[in-house]
Amino acid sequence: MAWHAIEAFIVLNVLLGLVAYVTLLERKFAARMQSRIGPYYVGRPHGWLQPIADALKLMMKEDIVPATSDRAVYNLAPIVFLVPCLLIFATLPFAPTLGVADLNIGVLFFLAVSSLEIVGLFMGGWGSNNKYALLSAMRAVNQIISYDLPFIFAALVPVVLAGSMQMSSIVAAQQGLWFVAYPLIGQLAFLAFVVATLAAENRVPFDILEAESELVAGFRVEYSGMKFALIQLGEYAHMLGTSFLGALLFLGGWLGPGPAALGPLWLLLKAMVIFLLVTWVRWSFVRIRVDHILAISWKLLMPATLVLLLAAGFVVATRGAGGG
Amino acid sequence: MAGNGGAPAFWRETGQLIGAIGRAMGVTLRNLFRKPVTVHYPDVQRQYPDRFRGILALAYDKETGEEACIGCRLCEYVCPPQVIKVEMLKGQKRNYAKTFTLELYACEFCELCVQVCPTDAIIMMKSFDLATADRRELLLDKDRLHALGLTFEPSWATGNRLRDMQAPPRPARAEARGEAKGEAKEPAE
Amino acid sequence: MAATQTQQVVEIGYGGNERLMMNMGPQHPSSHGVFRMILTLEGETVVGVDAVIGYLHRCHEKLGESLTYVQYPSIASKTDYVAAMTAELAYVSAVEKIAKVEVPRRAQYLRVIVAELQRIASHCLWLGTWCLDMGGALGGGATVFLYCIREREMVLDRFEELTGARLLYGFHQTGGTRYDVPPGWDKKVRETVDFIERRLDEYESMLEGNTFFRVRTQGVGVISREVAETVGVSGPLIRGSGVGYDVRRAEPYSSYGDFDFVVPVETAGDCYARYRVRMVEFRQSIRIIRQALDGLPEGPISSRPGVKSVAQVRVPKGEGYTRIEGARGEIGCYIVSDGGPKPYRLKWRGASFSNLAVLPYIVPGHKVADVVAIMGSVDPVFGEVDR
Repeated sequence: MAWHAIEAFIVLNVLLGLVAYVTLLERKFAARMQSRIGPYYVGRPHGWLQPIADALKLMMKEDIVPATSDRAVYNLAPIVFLVPCLLIFATLPFAPTLGVADLNIGVLFFLAVSSLEIVGLFMGGWGSNNKYALLSAMRAVNQIISYDLPFIFAALVPVVLAGSMQMSSIVAAQQGLWFVAYPLIGQLAFLAFVVATLAAENRVPFDILEAESELVAGFRVEYSGMKFALIQLGEYAHMLGTSFLGALLFLGGWLGPGPAALGPLWLLLKAMVIFLLVTWVRWSFVRIRVDHILAISWKLLMPATLVLLLAAGFVVATRGAGGG
Repeated sequence: MAGNGGAPAFWRETGQLIGAIGRAMGVTLRNLFRKPVTVHYPDVQRQYPDRFRGILALAYDKETGEEACIGCRLCEYVCPPQVIKVEMLKGQKRNYAKTFTLELYACEFCELCVQVCPTDAIIMMKSFDLATADRRELLLDKDRLHALGLTFEPSWATGNRLRDMQAPPRPARAEARGEAKGEAKEPAE
Repeated sequence: MAATQTQQVVEIGYGGNERLMMNMGPQHPSSHGVFRMILTLEGETVVGVDAVIGYLHRCHEKLGESLTYVQYPSIASKTDYVAAMTAELAYVSAVEKIAKVEVPRRAQYLRVIVAELQRIASHCLWLGTWCLDMGGALGGGATVFLYCIREREMVLDRFEELTGARLLYGFHQTGGTRYDVPPGWDKKVRETVDFIERRLDEYESMLEGNTFFRVRTQGVGVISREVAETVGVSGPLIRGSGVGYDVRRAEPYSSYGDFDFVVPVETAGDCYARYRVRMVEFRQSIRIIRQALDGLPEGPISSRPGVKSVAQVRVPKGEGYTRIEGARGEIGCYIVSDGGPKPYRLKWRGASFSNLAVLPYIVPGHKVADVVAIMGSVDPVFGEVDR
């Protein structure tokens, strides 16, 4: 029992550090794509201390609460947003025996809890008493609910192919062939997963939620200081969590050449691959309008992922019947 | 977005979409491997061109070493935001400027004062590092202007050179000036 | 039709539970300057727009009455500060028209080169900020923005070598130009222009076939031909709506008649058509610059002696109006002179001022996200609007 608590504590701290440095990775990667350098001065020459400087700055900022805001809702929103985003890491195993809680229903828990962030998001938008925030929160509810379904269906394809919701057994089932390499089903499911991740994360091209040029930070517009830091943390933690999930479900988790002790390193590398892929897409496209976003989700992704799920089930049924 | 022309239109649009996405991401990827265009100011200074319009300064006469300003106040009259204030001091052989103040915080850097100066006294420098913590430091008086003139590298543009460039060519006058000063009209690049 | 439409769309006041009045205020990342739009929203759809201008009013026209013809050209660049050369050209051309001053051919060609380079720089900024508005400061928009600014910096470096200044030049004066070409400049300009032409291909490949981009710009903000002609828009807006009016063709000034270029016209009238018009204008500007550099004649750069005093230019009594094809549309400058060194009256016809008047006709019916795309494709600069 105590061991679990200590393990959870370690995982949480490592995770927070990782989230901070992942922001640095994104900034440098984006900067190089734009012919510039990115963080440079703080911790020359690559800006290693930049995340620490940002964290310190945000902690020392004045916490401004709008006078006409709904106090309880406004103050609770960052916490309600952050907690599910951190909780999803509880079910992620980093090695066959390393993980806080490798539940039997790991994938289900992950998907269910990660959808809870929408509550915090809407609370932030409502409690701010600001038309921009409200508009953005309404768009967010629209978008995230629409894309959660394709997200779940795409994440269920590996579950069906592996026959279990426990993440370690999904990874074990990829010993022979990673799920992403399965002919057509794997690639399409991975593609749908990445697209749904982009949308569930409010990343460009689906970031009408924050849309800096229209709504100036969306539901976050009234937050400053540590509350803003919590919201940022939650967003990037969720992003990282879905990257890890994608690496576990599609890219073979900790499987890789070399000794088994290198497993977590492979997992990290694969999660970074997905993260960089998402970042690359983010910095290449303009955003699309809200009605087109919903059209893509309901008219394209939903039927596509349903068909994929059925196809995966068909494959498993025939394989099971053929194998005996 | 979903093709309402039937199945073939849907696949064609999807193909277009994938092609477009690939092209856009390819451009970004190509730029990932290009050298960044950042100049690491202030560690690295950019090369200023010859005619750079930077901080204003007062110059000394090249031959005699005296102050070049004769206090004629032409710069004061031509300045559009009226930031220059000059008082003339009459001397025996020539006039001087008793006080010369220039409000750099309001200056437009239009170079009109440089253009009208008959003695090339007021010039612009090849530097733009003007930032100070106190606005009063930007109210330049005569000593400061002369000091600035010695600190930085002057721009190519002086009053006589600019007027020569603008005027319809008069070969005799240009030759005479060229022989007297012994310098080319423009440094070769 | 037009009158009732204007009266209908301006809704001030709270119209009921379903409508939300939202302020896209003077401080906004995508209002292209200080510009306030009071939007009336039903859900996500805009049903009314009320535009408020005047936040950048700096009394240019009054300043024109107190500054002489020698002093004002460097101030004139501050009306359209993004495309400063064309703004100065408008003022100086008006003065030359009244005073009947002949401009030497070399100065005319230099003015053309500089105006077209300025058009390229201004369109780079337009493309960058438009994609920035549509794509987000943390997203693909910022990428296109930084690429465009990288190219604009090259053009600004050429201007810096020519005049010494990067944004507001004071390059023109009555009778010609103030600066001549430094040695090696025309070679550098050719290199810059070749480089930009190659990079344009990159931008087009990033945006042209991109379904996301097309979906956001096609069918959005359609200015029909009748509305365009009634309201009096100019520049890429009217050329995107099917009217092939370009001042450089209609009333050639500054020896534009010597050059061979195509005036792009699109009929769709939406944001995508205006985008296509400006992209073609990029290439045509490059073409004109090459022709002008090839044919640059020798000679003086000004028909008047160099400026020696503030009241040097005296213009006889009269009045004159000139039109210039600025990067945003038709810039006009009207001067009434009473014989002295200063104008009696100076009036600017700002291209963006007339272009903005089209907003109440085209914005209602679109979503909030489209408002941003439309503003970007109208490309206002508020120095011209508020003067």
